[in-house]
Amino acid sequence: MKWLLNALSSSLGRKFVMAITGLLLCGFLVAHLAGNLLLWAGADVYNGYAHKLHEQAALLLVAEIGLFALFAVHIVLAFRLTGGNRMARGQEYAVKQNKGEGDGVGWGRPDSFMFISGLVILGFLILHLSDFKFNDTDGLAPFDKARAVLRTPLRTAGYLTGFLFLFLHLLHGVASTFQTLGINHKKYNQLIRIVGVLFSASVCIGFASCVGWAWAFTGAPSTTPAPAVDQATVSQAEPTPEATAKPEAKSEQTN
Amino acid sequence: MAGRGMNLTLKIWRQAGPKAKGEFQTYKLGGVSPDMSFLEMLDVLNEQLIQHGEESVAFDHDCREGICGMCSLMINGQAHGPDKATTTCQLHMRRFRDGDTIVIEPWRATAFPVVRDLVVDRSAFDRIIGQGGFVSINTGNAQDANCLPVPKHNQEKAMEAAACIGCGACVAACKNASAMLFVSAKVSQLALLPQGEPEAARRVVKMVAQMDKEGFGGCTNTYECEAACPAEVPASNIARLNREYMKAVLLSDEMP
Ligand code: HEM
Ligand code: FES
Repeated sequence: MKWLLNALSSSLGRKFVMAITGLLLCGFLVAHLAGNLLLWAGADVYNGYAHKLHEQAALLLVAEIGLFALFAVHIVLAFRLTGGNRMARGQEYAVKQNKGEGDGVGWGRPDSFMFISGLVILGFLILHLSDFKFNDTDGLAPFDKARAVLRTPLRTAGYLTGFLFLFLHLLHGVASTFQTLGINHKKYNQLIRIVGVLFSASVCIGFASCVGWAWAFTGAPSTTPAPAVDQATVSQAEPTPEATAKPEAKSEQTN
Repeated sequence: MAGRGMNLTLKIWRQAGPKAKGEFQTYKLGGVSPDMSFLEMLDVLNEQLIQHGEESVAFDHDCREGICGMCSLMINGQAHGPDKATTTCQLHMRRFRDGDTIVIEPWRATAFPVVRDLVVDRSAFDRIIGQGGFVSINTGNAQDANCLPVPKHNQEKAMEAAACIGCGACVAACKNASAMLFVSAKVSQLALLPQGEPEAARRVVKMVAQMDKEGFGGCTNTYECEAACPAEVPASNIARLNREYMKAVLLSDEMP
């Protein structure tokens, strides 16, 4: 199988792998978003979904390892591609202008800063995992935890920034994947561009809506496992980043 | 040197040799006719430099009518200057205004080392073409018409790809110094025709390997190559190159 390894480590092969991993990561985004949107359906539905998901321990482990591998391959190749491309230029131009329109969208041409947008996504990913995966807060139900974490100015800003850069990354990435996989046909190119814009926009608006939900939701915390003592504590203080770990019940929620 | 016509300030990259350290030199040039081509303007500059006992500026050129691909030049950060579908030799000074400053640099790519001033060594392209091997075309009497059917749309696409003059503007303009448009044109013009079919798999595998060996960058589908190409070779050829490569890797007997 040396031939396959040789082919995949050529410049074309590496881009192929980037495209496939990028595409699979997009699939993950859709699945993740579908779960998150259940927040809008209320505490019972969301908590139920979260518990069902975590019951599948073996399946979850396989999925997490797969996901980690996808990210690792995509990121390693991103560094390799970006470093190699810088070396290929050697000396920079004193003056450089573009003649084309890039993606055909303005916004500073997302195709020109894919590595930067990728790095911001990576930063967001670390923040997100430290918030939800490696942060076993005191027995809060998933529904309340999501609300407590997201409903702080710091997290709101961080998460929205992450989604914005994810949007920009996908704005170029989705359409670009087709070209990398050899799909470029005048009958479909416009459709591919539209799909790229619609997909990136809807995914990111979807995720952003969950942050919006955290601020808009004023109902009672879910009744599931949270300890009774904490539930009773009534605090008038505005939520601060330190308060995120604790459940907070403001007066308007308790009515 | 002021006079009738346009007065220009030229900032030109001067480098005595491949290993020498280069730098920009500024020249004032007056009396430039708007009807001159860009290369004629440089000829005038060189004549004045020689009269003053200075070294003339080295730049590549040959046909001066847009067909040979020898002229190059990054003009104000644009390969072959500001116009689309135009080589430097076809660019006219009327495209600039009196009093303009024009920055002139060589193509920048590790695979295109500077030979002197604005001249770069583009033999990497020749080595890639060399790896493409040969096609056998019988000479002698013309064949009967239509004995080798070629669909019109394929013939047109092959012709579009064959329009590549190998100037290297795609590499120069690409933010990654990638040679994908050039290689894809050379692969496509043969892969689309029955004459090129028998060696198609071997050709694409070997040409891609040579492209990587020369140290060109990877494609990020930014399409600056297509915009800068004086022969307007479309980037759909790059998608074809991707297809042809994967087809060769997965389905042919070739060992990459
Ligand atoms: C949810 C996370 C991510 C998704 C869904 C994603 C998706 C994609 C897609 C679809 C592509 C296009 C592939 C192609 O053009 O063939 C791509 C390219 C790329 N990604 Fe990501 N990516 C993600 C995270 C990252 C991260 C963390 C980095 C880290 C630095 C990164 C860096 C890059 C780079 C450098 C490219 C190539 C740029 C180009 O071809 O213009 N990505 N990504
Ligand atoms: S000199 Fe021949 S193309 Fe410009």
